[in-house]
Amino acid sequence: MAIYSVGRRRVVIALLLTSALLLTLDLRGSPIIDRSRDIAARALDPVETAIGVVTTPVSRAWNGIVRYDDVRSENEALQEQIDRLIGTQAAAEAAVIRSQELQALNNLPALADIDTVVATVIGEGASNFDQVVEIDKGRSAGIAVGMPVVNQAGLIGKVTSVTDNSARVMLVTDRQYAVGVSVTSSSEPFDVGATENTTPSGITPEDATNAVTTTTSTTTTIPEQGTAGGQLPVPDTTLPGGLPGATTTTLSPLELAALEDLSNLPEQERADLEAELEELEAQLSTTTTTTEPEPVVEKETGALEGRGARLLPQIRFVQDAPQFAVLAAGDLVETAGGSESLAPPGIPVGRVANRADRAGSGGPLLDVELHADLDRLNFVRVVLYRPLVEVEQ
Amino acid sequence: MFAALVQGPIVRLVPVGVLLLALQRTIFVDVRIDGVIIPIMTIAAAATGVAGGSEGGAIAGFVFGLMFDLVEGTPLGSTAAALTVGGAVAGLLALIAADPQWWLAALFTAAGTAAGVVMVPVVRIFIGASEPFETRLGDIVAISAAAGAILSPLLVPVGRWCLRIKKTEWKGAANESAPTV
Repeated sequence: MAIYSVGRRRVVIALLLTSALLLTLDLRGSPIIDRSRDIAARALDPVETAIGVVTTPVSRAWNGIVRYDDVRSENEALQEQIDRLIGTQAAAEAAVIRSQELQALNNLPALADIDTVVATVIGEGASNFDQVVEIDKGRSAGIAVGMPVVNQAGLIGKVTSVTDNSARVMLVTDRQYAVGVSVTSSSEPFDVGATENTTPSGITPEDATNAVTTTTSTTTTIPEQGTAGGQLPVPDTTLPGGLPGATTTTLSPLELAALEDLSNLPEQERADLEAELEELEAQLSTTTTTTEPEPVVEKETGALEGRGARLLPQIRFVQDAPQFAVLAAGDLVETAGGSESLAPPGIPVGRVANRADRAGSGGPLLDVELHADLDRLNFVRVVLYRPLVEVEQ
Repeated sequence: MFAALVQGPIVRLVPVGVLLLALQRTIFVDVRIDGVIIPIMTIAAAATGVAGGSEGGAIAGFVFGLMFDLVEGTPLGSTAAALTVGGAVAGLLALIAADPQWWLAALFTAAGTAAGVVMVPVVRIFIGASEPFETRLGDIVAISAAAGAILSPLLVPVGRWCLRIKKTEWKGAANESAPTV
């Protein structure tokens, strides 16, 4: 058996130094190394295909043994999910169309305007320390490093290296992954105590409360055309979760009497007003005015970072400002975009699963449950998006 | 120089590495144990170290790691450095016994594999990766080492073949180091 010697130690040190040298060259960017990678990938491809054919039955047998229970429970969960999705699909499609129309009207960049390339996932990363997949489209399809990759559910990662006919995609769960995101909070930032702001000027909250008969909630809003105060949404406390909903109000004779006191107006104008008032009185005594306020939507931006396999990605650097938005589980997360961001705004990412508050000014940490199932990726779309900074260059 | 290259271990290490890399990227990606991928390249480097000492293990680790980096897209040299250490550690441990029994060889292979696996995030610290240590690093190391121990009876002879170590050489070395009465 070999005896340990200085010469052998030199060999080990020389190999480590060579590794360090290669690392330096690669990290600085070397076309020779890039070319070498292309050649190595092409050389390995036929061997890998052959080995794949031979070993596929073994893999299937293993998966059949190990994952049978998982597949069965997953099947049941998927069936339930399909039933639920069928119900919401039509409404979602209508909302998407409305959103696209609005974006077009406002000349805002829409995700639908950006070209995409459909690719097939042909392999997974072979390391325990990298969350990556390999796709079958590369430079020849217009794919470049940094482009975001999505599937039907949402964001899955970004392209980190590309060859002529393949590319590697770093998944959102990789510890090196980070992207700017916005958290859309649908919670109501205004408290019920602020209803004084919603009353018309000249009427105290008490008068308004007396004047308005609320049939569904404790709201004090009086519909008044042309004033912003009457259009502010107020939570309907009869609905679960305090979500903004329909508010029904009816004017009482007290307010009508107040309006009759307008004696300083000219004769003709007063006569017209009285006629209108009579009509209104007739209508208001029987008609119920219903308003459907838009839900209050507030956004906070932060950085989504992967934390490795089996751990939910986390959002950091979120400002916790309750006066603007209260971030909580269930809030939607989508890419924030920006001139330097690698991802365009509006790509759905997931929902906030947990919120962990931290001491100091660090802000809360938000765990994000991804929309996309990264364990089962078959087809993906590479969004051919370049950041505005790069486009200008 | 050409003769040295042909007669050296590289000629055998490269085709073996290609086969192992293909296996690593196909069956070992599918067949995971508790979500952990068996690092067959690291195990092979450690097994070669057990068969041929720290020098042989380091060379095998370097070649296998370089091939892995080239194909996997990881920074070139990062896995090579980690596997060089893994192979060298296994080779150093193998010095304890001149002709280790199968279970001792399995133990050394497991230790070398563990060293190689731990070195991957350590090397990444040096290249500026933020938080490279997986939260499941303990699980990954334990499962990889166990797989290394199980596969060592298969991979130690392969490593011996790669390094062109003839049976008479390692048996002879064992006889020489055996205590004489």
